[in-house]
Amino acid sequence: MKKTTAAVVGIGEVPTGKYPDRSELDAALTACRAAILDAGLGPRDIDVILPTGALASRHFNVDLVFSRLCEELGMNRSLKMNCQVMAGGATSSSILAVAEGLIAAGMARRVLCVHSDAVGSLPKQAGIDLFATTGVSEEWEAPYGHNMNAVGALATQRYMHETGTTEEELAAVCVALRKWAMLNPHAMFRTPLTVEEVMASKMVATPLRAKECNMLADGAAAFVVAAAGDARAISESPVFLRGHGSLVTHYTLSQERDLARLGFPEAARAAYAEAGIGPDAIQLAQIYDAYPVWPLMSLDGLGLCRGTPAGAFVAAGETAPGGSLPMTTNGGMLSQGHTGVGGGIAVLVEAFRQLMGKAGARQVAGLVNAVETASGGTWMDSHVTILSREAA
Amino acid sequence: MTAQTRPLPQPSAWSAPFWQAARDRRLVIQRCTSCDEKIMYPRRFCPVCLGEALEFVPAKGTGEIYTLTTQMAGPPSGFEAMLPYVLAVIRLDEGVQMMSNIVGDGALGARIGDRVTVDFATVEGSDTVLPVFRLAGDGQ
Repeated sequence: MKKTTAAVVGIGEVPTGKYPDRSELDAALTACRAAILDAGLGPRDIDVILPTGALASRHFNVDLVFSRLCEELGMNRSLKMNCQVMAGGATSSSILAVAEGLIAAGMARRVLCVHSDAVGSLPKQAGIDLFATTGVSEEWEAPYGHNMNAVGALATQRYMHETGTTEEELAAVCVALRKWAMLNPHAMFRTPLTVEEVMASKMVATPLRAKECNMLADGAAAFVVAAAGDARAISESPVFLRGHGSLVTHYTLSQERDLARLGFPEAARAAYAEAGIGPDAIQLAQIYDAYPVWPLMSLDGLGLCRGTPAGAFVAAGETAPGGSLPMTTNGGMLSQGHTGVGGGIAVLVEAFRQLMGKAGARQVAGLVNAVETASGGTWMDSHVTILSREAA
Repeated sequence: MTAQTRPLPQPSAWSAPFWQAARDRRLVIQRCTSCDEKIMYPRRFCPVCLGEALEFVPAKGTGEIYTLTTQMAGPPSGFEAMLPYVLAVIRLDEGVQMMSNIVGDGALGARIGDRVTVDFATVEGSDTVLPVFRLAGDGQ
């Protein structure tokens, strides 16, 4: 078990959805301000900003690299470093690991991590074409018509083949996420959804139907990471970073040789060992989704379903409100919306929010320990992070 | 970016022989002359020993479907007219994997584990030839 070195002390987020009149800068500043104020800090208390990459606007992405947030937030000549961290969908877990490392090494004390993007306001075909290049080989895959929905579909087919998971069980993932999103005012989709409605939606890439494919959205979120020793003086409810495990398995999906598991079993073993917290002590699972197969694969790999196959576990309602293992209570990318890199950031920030006791109508009672997962590109990597209200 | 153009492979210095072989209706993979590793797709260096002496060797052109999907809607630009099309990851009998399309008789009913045989398809309006796969026994 590792001695805890870092904790999250403040969070901020703006609503997710189609906001063509809200600039990425406006959303980023709003989320940063909220996170800094949530921590009870001022701008000059922050010594490092780690912005994520932004996909929709090259100009905004360049502004993130070149310290625009530092200047706009009043940190000129007090901030020590502004450095972009980018790992696609896995930026959430990765940026947290980078922030923790800087703090553990004594190189930073208050790290502001921020994501903002507006991929939801891109024209629909531009969004499809953008995500057909994220982890897709231009030479070896794109010429065959590969694209992000196909990534989800190819993994789903292999997972179903190896586990016997049914199409109705896949649909049940979307339904459970929607039930949580209905309690989340920041979510894009908040109307009821049934398995029958999912099954009746248009087939996109077999076996995935339209309601099993995420919707691109605009959004922003930020959080402040501080040294663990300072955390209780800053926040009444700090969230301690207890353990992390990860494994990069591929660049192109077509080179993956274990598409029904990826690296989640290995990542989970490492994370549980570092945290000294095992799957039986996990009370909340914030699982990167984007397509229903990934939460199922992740639940299996993390050993969270007590021996039950993940599809049957979710179909029985165990991950929905009132179930034994609340999962992705913001609604995930399938219901809160997929903001590019921020889809994972939102899943992570919701873990902090729940552990801080700030989740409002969807607050899970009596929480101590949670797990968060992420994966980037074509599920190139598997990340597992253990978070707790208690330090070690 | 031209909206309606189907993306074509832009060969690198080390992959060009693969695409030339495809134009000659031959499927080739790489072999590392140092450690004998079989490699697909073509790499600059051997991913096992980092050796730089890689050679192209003929592949049998047979294998099985590791996973697949039929794209029914929402394709990337340039593929609208191909719908529905079958995208698959093929595990060649040499043990390496590659992405391709399943074409021909029965393609829309193909399943994981089905045996497949390579064929070659010229992309319309180009001199690019893509290795594609047919179900074994499709009669070609």
